Amino acid sequence: MNLRSILRTTALAASVLLPSALWAKPVTVAVYANLTGLDPANVNDFLSQSSTRLMYQGLFSFDQKMKITPLLAESYEANDDATEFTIKLKSGIKFHDGTDFNAEAVKVNIDRLRDPANNLSRRSLVSMVSDVQVVDDTTVKLILEKPFGAMIASLAHPGAMMISPAALEKHGKEVNRNPVGTGPFKFVSWSADTLEVTKNDDYWKEGLPKVEGVTVKSVPESGARFAMLQTGEAQFVPSFPPELLEAAAKNPKLDVITEDSIFEFYTTMNTTKKPFDDKRVRQAMNYAIDKEAFCKVAFGPGCMPADSIIPPLLSFHAAQTPYPYDPEKAKALLKEAGYENGFETDLWSGSSTEVQRGAQVLQQQLAQVGVKANVMPLESGVATEKIWSVQKPEDATVQMYYTGWSSSTGDADWGIRPLLYSESFPPNLFNVAYYKNDQADAAIKGAIGTAKDEDRAKFYAEAQKIVWDDAPWIFLSVPKNYSAKQKALSGVYIQPDRMFVVEEAEFTE
Amino acid sequence: MLGYLAKRLVSTGTVLVLVMMCTFAFVHMLPGDPARLVAGPTAAVEDVQAVRQALGLDKPLPEQFVSYVSRLAHGDLGTSLKTRRPVATEIGERLMPTVWLTVTAMSWSTLIGLLIGVMSAVRRGRWQDHLGMLVAVSGISFPPFWLGLLLINLLSVRLGWLPTGGYGTWQHFIMPSITLGVGVAAVMARFTRSSFVEVAREDYVRTARAKGVPERQVIWRHALRNALIPITTMVGLQFGFLLGGSIVVESVFSWPGLGRLLVDSVSYRDYPVIQALILLFSIQFILINLIVDVLYVVANPEIRYS
Repeated sequence: MNLRSILRTTALAASVLLPSALWAKPVTVAVYANLTGLDPANVNDFLSQSSTRLMYQGLFSFDQKMKITPLLAESYEANDDATEFTIKLKSGIKFHDGTDFNAEAVKVNIDRLRDPANNLSRRSLVSMVSDVQVVDDTTVKLILEKPFGAMIASLAHPGAMMISPAALEKHGKEVNRNPVGTGPFKFVSWSADTLEVTKNDDYWKEGLPKVEGVTVKSVPESGARFAMLQTGEAQFVPSFPPELLEAAAKNPKLDVITEDSIFEFYTTMNTTKKPFDDKRVRQAMNYAIDKEAFCKVAFGPGCMPADSIIPPLLSFHAAQTPYPYDPEKAKALLKEAGYENGFETDLWSGSSTEVQRGAQVLQQQLAQVGVKANVMPLESGVATEKIWSVQKPEDATVQMYYTGWSSSTGDADWGIRPLLYSESFPPNLFNVAYYKNDQADAAIKGAIGTAKDEDRAKFYAEAQKIVWDDAPWIFLSVPKNYSAKQKALSGVYIQPDRMFVVEEAEFTE
Repeated sequence: MLGYLAKRLVSTGTVLVLVMMCTFAFVHMLPGDPARLVAGPTAAVEDVQAVRQALGLDKPLPEQFVSYVSRLAHGDLGTSLKTRRPVATEIGERLMPTVWLTVTAMSWSTLIGLLIGVMSAVRRGRWQDHLGMLVAVSGISFPPFWLGLLLINLLSVRLGWLPTGGYGTWQHFIMPSITLGVGVAAVMARFTRSSFVEVAREDYVRTARAKGVPERQVIWRHALRNALIPITTMVGLQFGFLLGGSIVVESVFSWPGLGRLLVDSVSYRDYPVIQALILLFSIQFILINLIVDVLYVVANPEIRYS
């Protein structure tokens, strides 16, 4: 760009800016990081996932309370042992490029996702599918190689959304930058830090969308995001920083929204190594923490102590009896286990300010019962090496790890299996406590083996009870999600998994 | 002059190779497995392995270095691990915003810095001098991050005059270039002042005065011209720092430039992009040094290179 073209753009922009009040403007959403891609099957971060949902839709989706609802699908049926799923599709829906959404399109998408040769990061969502059969134009049948009761929840994950087969054909891997779906908005452009989409005039949902378009802008500095909201340059800030909540609440033009989340924070203890191989020690750690206080300091108002291994909004949650704050009992248990004078241990955590604040609260409270925890913040690359790439449990050096988890399928399966199943030790999945209990394993396996909700509920209730008593974690908290918006904008929210939703956005002034 | 240039170019080439080796080594010493970061935390072990092979990360380091250099020689900077686009495209998109921001910041800060410096030197010991240096010291001690937020709060939120951030119109340039340039202006002012005071003591200045040359001409033509030589070096150095150092400012003002690209790439272990950016910043530094040396000759033809 030379000076003349800058001047020209400037003049143009000035002339465009003046009458802007007369136009229906797009919604601007300010987010804290750059998007990493627009191929739903190949992104991992929830900002990109949220953004792909402007343009793409899946067979199923989640509502505001994380309940699974049919979207492009009409209904489904499953056989008893959860190996066959027959899905009925809605008819008459078209992709942005004018091609039909139908059973064939579903087959193309699921086959693409499950094919290891394509190397898509969301492959695990459908890797258990062995065949996709087109029954007729609006009916598709999934055959699984082994029972998987959480199949529908997997399909509701944004990673399994439907891309136009014609676009896949045309763009190949470049579909990442040329998204074509069935969603409320059509792709316009995606440059360094800005994604622009425009209203899909042929959207299949009556009366939607109600805004001209959406701009997703990455603004890393939280103070700057807040400023944009105040000046009206942005109208919606999902994941609003808690420390600015008070200032935002004072502004009459803004709404601060507090919503339930499915994030649970906990601290794993390596159950294969001393001193945490002793259940009494692990329980003592749970008695030693004042969870209410932890919540307040680490996450601000609205945070709740965890009452199970999964948060209340997740399907099949069953509340357990909390470990009350009882330092005397903690000391007694430690004494019983032979640690009368406490012990010293390393407490690993992430490196962000918020996470470290939480780790420090733990450190301070554990000190009260004689446990000296050295807080060690791990930058993500180091964590990958020290935690996730460890090949054998006996090589693991992790002692305690303070972290959080959100089950992105909204299902108990993904909230429990990756974290507490004995086949989920790193590097496979995320069982950093190296927790193995045969009964718990049997319950988790039993739950995958059926598609019947009442049976799954029974299995998961059992798993939750066993793990809670075994205490491989210090069960900590379920914080709220915060977002802020301009009063003039309505219809936007964040889902419990922190995804932002602007499909029904509307300017009311 | 030509011979000198040729010699400089050869040594520049050597420095470049060293820089390439260092970048390559540093980047591979960073902890963390890029294959896993690319494949994603939920990817199966075999998927991670496949990514590793696809990226050539399973090969021995020397082999990786050789193929890196040979690709560079063909003008291929590689493919971003994160976006899977050519690194040249990624950098190309972000280059001009950073260059324009740097140029804007550099222009006003050099000018203001020079003026304050000369004023302080000429009025040495008087209130103009004290005021000028007070401003300069405050400029140096202002953390750019805080200054940026302060400006946003005042000019955007309270007064509504300027956009809070982003890139596009001339209004977008004002706050970031102030934030970026304040430190430079301050350094320039102090440096100009001392350089000017030094030159003012020289014999030829005294001679000029004695000959009855008007004071204005003594200052602007004789003293400043000679004071400019060390100042040019300073400008060059500051320029180099600005190009690389706009990271904070780009983050505060959501400026889609190279600084932010570097931050993003480091957190993602996007090796090819990090390598290319460090290489680019090094080349900029080397080139600026070269230009400064050439400018020496322009500022004072008395200087000769043998």
